[in-house]
Amino acid sequence: MTAAPPATAAGPSTDVAPADAITPTLRANLRRRRIWIVFAIVLVLGAISLLVIRGGGGSAGQRLGADNPAPFGAKALVEVLGSHGVEVGAVDDFDTALTSAKSGATVLVFDEFGLLDEQRLSRLAMFADRLVVVEPGFAALEALAPGVRLAGAASGAVDEVECELPAAERAGSLSTGQRLFTLDDEATADGWQGCFRDGDHGYAVATGPSSGDGRIVLVGATTPFENGRITERGNAALAIGLAGASEELVWYLPGPLDADPGQAPTLGELTPGWVSPVLALAVVVTVVAGVWRGRRFGPLVVENLPVHVPAGETALGRARLYARSAARTHALDQLRLGAIARIASSLRLPRTADVAEIAAAAAVATGRDPGQVRAVLVEALPTGDRELVQLANALDDLEHAVHATLAPETSTPQAADHPGRRP
Amino acid sequence: MALTGRFALLVALGVVPVVVAGFSSAPLAWLALVGWLLLVVGAGIIDLSLAASPRAVAFPRELPDRVRLGEPVASQLTVQNLGGRMLRATVRDGWEPSAGVAGANRTRLAIPAGERRRMTLHLVPTRRGDRRTQQVTLRSAGPLGLWARQATLAAPGRVRVLPPFHSRVHLPSRLTRLRELDGRTPLLIRGQGTEFDSIRDYVRGDDVRSIDWRATARHIDPEVPGNTRLMVRTWRPERDRRIVIVADTSRTAAARIADEPRLDTSYEAALLLAALASHAGDRVDFLATDRRPRGRVHGASGPDLLARMVDTMAGIDAELVEADWTLVPGQVRAVTSRHAFVVLLTAADSPGSARGLLSVLPQLTARHTVVVASVADPAMLETSRLRGDLDEVYGAAAAERGLLDGERVGAAIRRLGAQTVTAAPHELPPALADRYLELKAAGRL
Repeated sequence: MTAAPPATAAGPSTDVAPADAITPTLRANLRRRRIWIVFAIVLVLGAISLLVIRGGGGSAGQRLGADNPAPFGAKALVEVLGSHGVEVGAVDDFDTALTSAKSGATVLVFDEFGLLDEQRLSRLAMFADRLVVVEPGFAALEALAPGVRLAGAASGAVDEVECELPAAERAGSLSTGQRLFTLDDEATADGWQGCFRDGDHGYAVATGPSSGDGRIVLVGATTPFENGRITERGNAALAIGLAGASEELVWYLPGPLDADPGQAPTLGELTPGWVSPVLALAVVVTVVAGVWRGRRFGPLVVENLPVHVPAGETALGRARLYARSAARTHALDQLRLGAIARIASSLRLPRTADVAEIAAAAAVATGRDPGQVRAVLVEALPTGDRELVQLANALDDLEHAVHATLAPETSTPQAADHPGRRP
Repeated sequence: MALTGRFALLVALGVVPVVVAGFSSAPLAWLALVGWLLLVVGAGIIDLSLAASPRAVAFPRELPDRVRLGEPVASQLTVQNLGGRMLRATVRDGWEPSAGVAGANRTRLAIPAGERRRMTLHLVPTRRGDRRTQQVTLRSAGPLGLWARQATLAAPGRVRVLPPFHSRVHLPSRLTRLRELDGRTPLLIRGQGTEFDSIRDYVRGDDVRSIDWRATARHIDPEVPGNTRLMVRTWRPERDRRIVIVADTSRTAAARIADEPRLDTSYEAALLLAALASHAGDRVDFLATDRRPRGRVHGASGPDLLARMVDTMAGIDAELVEADWTLVPGQVRAVTSRHAFVVLLTAADSPGSARGLLSVLPQLTARHTVVVASVADPAMLETSRLRGDLDEVYGAAAAERGLLDGERVGAAIRRLGAQTVTAAPHELPPALADRYLELKAAGRL
């Protein structure tokens, strides 16, 4: 631990060879791992090229995208409509959609992120002859149909049409996964009516007049239009009936151009300018501290450890074995064998003495009842756990008693056989 | 490459310019952040490029060759800077954990170009055997102490940790007994275990039966012409007996009794016996064996004997294999063809594991005096006395069974003509030494 500063300041000893390095140099490391490095480079290049190739299809994952073949896309519907002579134009900005609407096209709006404000929606409704709004949000309902409110999800498939909308009548029923509207009296008075009633909960589709002279259809869920669900029940009939009502269809999914810059300030604008950089710095500091503490100071040192076996394990295991099989007699026999041998040796009985003789001798030595001594030493059989403990204690007691009677004699042990004495 | 805490602190200090810039505008704060990071990383790179190479270093080591277990040892490592720059190094010596390096094993050294510095690590080895180090890891920081270069260099070192020989405390008392044994010379009674020592003048009190009449006839008394002096023969305990100590290193030796592996107890007993016997003038050979000969000390005497024995023992640990006792008679025969005192240090506590031993004992007892020394578990004796509740009674029964097994094996060994010494770990070495003295006194070696 202690570095001793006064060391022999040797001269420029050029004859000393440096110690062999175990750590490979950077170059050797690179050479050794070049296969993996090449692999990694190929993988990265592949990933980049894949990204570049598919780069145009950035909107491929959009919900209800007109060219999205995924289960939640709407390519199936758009293709079918196209093959039946409906001119479908996928649009992602408000101005184009409005121009098309003015020319009499049906407009289908799916504003997933709530980009359109009330004003624009109202304008769209005013100029479009037929406006289909899929999954309208709260703001959209406020703008288009003040009396219509969101009412949660439908309990299952919906098959009570209950309105005169031709598309709805053709469809007959809708699959599961619909979302519902309720219409209050004011909306009904304005000419709104609901289709596809789900018990008392509400309607999956609502239709009513627009502020212009067109008609608005609100569809609660995207389900009837999705590739994955369009074939279920009357979904296809409703979707085609609503979207293919005229020669021209504008498939309007509001895009980034519609984002309104004049919105409420974001969190970033509310905090002071230095907070985000300091957070970034904290991340960097954490990484640096991790590298500082985590860098291992040389390789781990391996040590071969010797085997150590606790010797008491066998006796412990044997005791548990006795206990589990409740081998009371067997256990007591072991104790008796030991006790009998010790009593015999302390009473100086010959090795050939049998148990009866030893019991008799012990009874004589202790002055106890011979029958009782015999019972403790040989005859009594334990019938229960309590009896086993009692017998074991009685055995111990007897042994102590025998030793106690011989105490004066046993107090001089092994004095006779002192080594090195010759007669 | 490695970073230092100083570098992390420097990066964290970037909070000052970032906040200051952030009061004017957010983009400026971001600019300050990027600028600070670039500055710091640049400083790190410059620092790294100025650091001395951790590879142009030589490590002459100074290590004591041997040390007893439990004693401290100073490991001195000289770090010689062969490069052309100042080396600011943190050094870690790659000792095994059981070498017991005191402290954190991180030594800071500043070594100018071409010079060298010595560092000292204090080791207290915790385990017997060869404690090794293979490498030294060096972290060479730049002058600013921001980034460091790190390399691990080969610098092998070894300390042989010898068995502790705690039982040497019993040696003086046994030597006294031995001298008493010797000091009763000249014994006037001849018998087994004594050999002829000398002929000397009769003094009053000597046993008349030991008068050597032929010698008396040859010795003319110069003071009283015509008379002869009475001469008596004297005897002394026999010397130059062969003692062969066989330590069993098989799986039973790995058992830990009273926090000491059986093997270590065997070593203690062997060392005490060897020390005593070499004082008594007997020749001691040591064998360690399980399925193959693990170690052997042959033909050493005096102080060299103990040194060679501890050296041999140091590297031998118990292995998890069954002992092959059939090898032992051959190994003993290879040591000596004469009658010898053979001590088998093993575990004789269960009939199963002692079967191999019992099968070869007759071969040994036919020719030699054999003592089987084994460690008894004192915990077993304690457990067999417990009677408190049902579990204790069952435990006592199991312990009693173990003791009875040990008794049976001991009886079998004695029937085969060998003797047994069984004692608790700390009592086995003196017990074995006492048995040796008894046998020596009885002339049965």
